[in-house]
Amino acid sequence: MEVSVLPIASAHKEKLISAGYTTLLSIIGVSASRLAQELIIPHREAVEIIKVTLKCSRAVGLEGTHAVLKGSRTAWEMLSDEQNLKLIRTGSEDFDGILGGGIHCGQVTEMGGVPGIGKTQLGIQLAVNVQIPVSYGGLGAKAIYIDTEGSFMPERAYQIAQACIMDTWENLGFSRKEIEDCQEKMQPDHFLANILYFRICSYTEQIAVINYLDKFLEEHKDVKIVIIDSISFHFRQDFKEMVQRTIVLNEMSRQLMKLAERFAVAVLLLNHVTAKHTEGSFQLTLALGDTWSHSCTNRVILYWDGNDRHARIEKSPYLPSASAPFSVTGKGIRNAIAHCKRLRMM
Amino acid sequence: MSLPHSLEEELPTVNDSFLRFGASHGILSAEKALVHVPSVIDASTKDEADLGVSPKGASRTLSNFESKCLRWMNGVELLDDALRNKRFLPTGCEGIDTLLGGGLREGQLTEIVGPSSSGKTQFCLYVASNVAVKLCGSIVFLDTSNSFSPTRIASIVNQICGPAVKEGQERRIKNIMSSIHCQSVFDIFSLQDALHELDNTLNMQTIREGTKICMLVVDSVSSLITPILGSKSSQGRSLMVSVGYLMKQLADEWNLSVLVTNHMVSGGGTSKPALGESWKCIPHVRLQLSRCPGSSICNVSVLKHTSMACNRSVDFEIPN
Repeated sequence: MEVSVLPIASAHKEKLISAGYTTLLSIIGVSASRLAQELIIPHREAVEIIKVTLKCSRAVGLEGTHAVLKGSRTAWEMLSDEQNLKLIRTGSEDFDGILGGGIHCGQVTEMGGVPGIGKTQLGIQLAVNVQIPVSYGGLGAKAIYIDTEGSFMPERAYQIAQACIMDTWENLGFSRKEIEDCQEKMQPDHFLANILYFRICSYTEQIAVINYLDKFLEEHKDVKIVIIDSISFHFRQDFKEMVQRTIVLNEMSRQLMKLAERFAVAVLLLNHVTAKHTEGSFQLTLALGDTWSHSCTNRVILYWDGNDRHARIEKSPYLPSASAPFSVTGKGIRNAIAHCKRLRMM
Repeated sequence: MSLPHSLEEELPTVNDSFLRFGASHGILSAEKALVHVPSVIDASTKDEADLGVSPKGASRTLSNFESKCLRWMNGVELLDDALRNKRFLPTGCEGIDTLLGGGLREGQLTEIVGPSSSGKTQFCLYVASNVAVKLCGSIVFLDTSNSFSPTRIASIVNQICGPAVKEGQERRIKNIMSSIHCQSVFDIFSLQDALHELDNTLNMQTIREGTKICMLVVDSVSSLITPILGSKSSQGRSLMVSVGYLMKQLADEWNLSVLVTNHMVSGGGTSKPALGESWKCIPHVRLQLSRCPGSSICNVSVLKHTSMACNRSVDFEIPN
């Protein structure tokens, strides 16, 4: 829609075009005072121009005229967007079930649990699963793995990738021969090549990397998941001043949310547990304190129930709180099998 | 108030010569005019060649100007205005509505405090949906922590509308959901920008045929403010208070009901609302939410209210 169709004085049209306002949308987006300043016309006339533009654009039903604020979207528009967003499956259908189908792109999800519950396994599994080609029901994207503890095991990742490939084919009901044909296309090596790995040794590095991600994701648009394993490691020991820590953590979570929303990537934060003293009893909660607990969109607690691993939705704006069992097998994260017992190392 | 240009329409005496007079003395805003023009007039009585404006004319304009700017109302008018323009927006949760005498008041700022996962966001989403359905008003939702969930809104709207009518249901839900506007803000400055922009939009609303904006939700305001607090300088605190007043001004001027959420911090064994004492005076109404882990029943208690007794509490449930 061009400016030339507007029923306004031709002098104004000329000024608009020479100032760079060529489409109706560009005029709607600007405030009257700014327009007056740029075109060097009285404020009243600028208001008049915007009024006329709004009327015109509504007449032709132009998109964007409903926006109350620049960049705001209505719930309806967002709903259809959200329905188109892809989900990254965890490998266990039960786990996916309580997550509403898998990890959501565009959101920050925090998962935490006691040591040995399988946080890192889950991280590696998701880094692999995000790469399943679109034709096989995945996202065909890359993963960023930010490792603060040095617990990422490439051998394990290779194993999980192999198992993931086999399972994908089996689920599709491929015969032996077909699998051999496909083997060219999907190889564990490719899966490992698409995990972009950062090793972090201090909290300053961690902040630097997270700030750098903005630029990095701009260049690597095919990344769909960012895994931070773990978010809390360096923050639990290096800080004396708690107030300072809260401020830094808050800033970091804001940055991560911005990334998630802007690039529609899933952000997975793995966290440790800590004992919290409330009303005379100790309870296990995720580390980093109360203020931090507000800063992620979804929160999932991984815990032992007897000998089974369970996951529980602790906090989510849209998921009902529920729990489901899962297990960590040689192949990676899978559904819990009734007889799967925890191996106790004596 | 904006540049004196905007006054021209309302006040015939504020004409070009007055503006020129002002501009020649560097007076460009209405507030400045009120403060500076008298002294300038005194000074320029000796200097008659002042752009052809007689000081008398200027001072007459000024007195008109003052009477227009400094409006006053008496109590009866105020009460009348409150009864007419400041509606109660029903929250949809029966317990809370009776607790607050009808719901969230327009023109007031209501704050919800509560620990993580106590149902603050759920409450915001629920109220927003309920107002959109029952009053057909528009809602502006400023989301600071990616927690606005259109899926959840859809399911709440579905629930409130009920399964009564099948035909046209889809279109109705679309209309309702289109009246909820969401924007993500990730720092305090973009919040300020958004609030100023909202002011502009409301100014222009007269020329739009759309539904009236009756509610503004900021979920959560504390996650934007905590990063700027805590340092030694008081700059963060003054920024916080100015944002608070901006929201209250919007609420009062345009009869919006403003709903913000705040989290809790633990200090000395007990937990209390974050943001400290200087924020405490900003909200008109402060409600505290709490929820036992695992149960779906929330408890809400009144910590502060401008016209009702405090420390009353009630249980309510947000249906799944």
